[in-house]
Amino acid sequence: MSTLNDSEDIYTSNYGSADQNAGLAGSFKPFSSPYLNYDPVYIPASQPEYIFLDGQNKQRGRFELAFGQIGASCMIGAGIGGVTGFYNGLKATTLAGQTGALRRTQMLNHIMKKGSSNANTLGSIAVIYSAFGVILSWARGTDDDVNTIVAATATGALYKSTAGLRKCGVGAAAGLGLSCLYALWNSREKLAELRQFNPARR
Amino acid sequence: MEEYTREPCPWRIVDDCGGAFTMGLIGGGVFQSIKGFRNAPSGFNRRLIGSMTAIKQRSPTIAGNFAVWGGLFSTIDCALIHVRKKEDPWNSIISGAATGGILAARNGVSAMAGSAFIGGVLLALIEGVGILFTRLSAEQFQPQPPVFEDPTQQAPSGGLSFQ
Repeated sequence: MSTLNDSEDIYTSNYGSADQNAGLAGSFKPFSSPYLNYDPVYIPASQPEYIFLDGQNKQRGRFELAFGQIGASCMIGAGIGGVTGFYNGLKATTLAGQTGALRRTQMLNHIMKKGSSNANTLGSIAVIYSAFGVILSWARGTDDDVNTIVAATATGALYKSTAGLRKCGVGAAAGLGLSCLYALWNSREKLAELRQFNPARR
Repeated sequence: MEEYTREPCPWRIVDDCGGAFTMGLIGGGVFQSIKGFRNAPSGFNRRLIGSMTAIKQRSPTIAGNFAVWGGLFSTIDCALIHVRKKEDPWNSIISGAATGGILAARNGVSAMAGSAFIGGVLLALIEGVGILFTRLSAEQFQPQPPVFEDPTQQAPSGGLSFQ
């Protein structure tokens, strides 16, 4: 502390100690904010910080994606059901010869009924599938295509489990087939590499 | 488990719809299982069958109603955020009232008003409880005067702490 106003300066009072400024002439002080100029010792290194790269194995977990998937399948079901209901309603009201307010109400009834029932079905399947997927990925500690296939098969079996053994098997087979198709589509790049593999070439 | 944060706005609708559907399916499943168990004819096996039937028949419907509520609420919330350019409790309260009103639109004007009032009050209560909890828990996070102890120097130099 060579000069008087050194100790009054808020920025250098803590960090710009005398031995740091020893080589500098006279009243010149380098600007050093207490927020910018710190020793790494001050940062508590209690928890590690992770940065996940794109293209690496670790991406968003199943639980994070589950609600979005459920909502999306619910909305898709509502959309498909609404269109189907509109078509059915149009046909039914034309056949019955209904016009005006009666036809409008009947159309609304058709759309709402078909849309909600479709949305409920698809949404319930999505909830069961997500539950199986989350449980599997927690239990196995990894998140891969095996989880998808097993979860989809179990979902199909459970959804049709009260309709008899045969239908239960059909549901499981449907889940297995769809998930296998998805898994093939998901790993199409690996398969393309495999197809171009030439054993004659080293 | 990863940190669960809310999605940015257009995708929040899908997310909220899914969350509401899940909530309705699980909650409705529990509720309907009890109801079906109680209302079934006597005999434990019959009661179990009644419970199962009730779950299968009614809980998807309840879940669907929840999902419609959640999706519409979130849609109006996002629209309000876009229009008002800010996110505050009023957004939720307004969108709760609007959702209640819109969903009762086929039952007449008085039913719409009643539903809108109930929706607004419900969301106001939720937001109020949220603000209350924030106020209560804010006590812990009051700023402490920083104490700078220099670990590189053994002896305190005295009178140089940053206030």
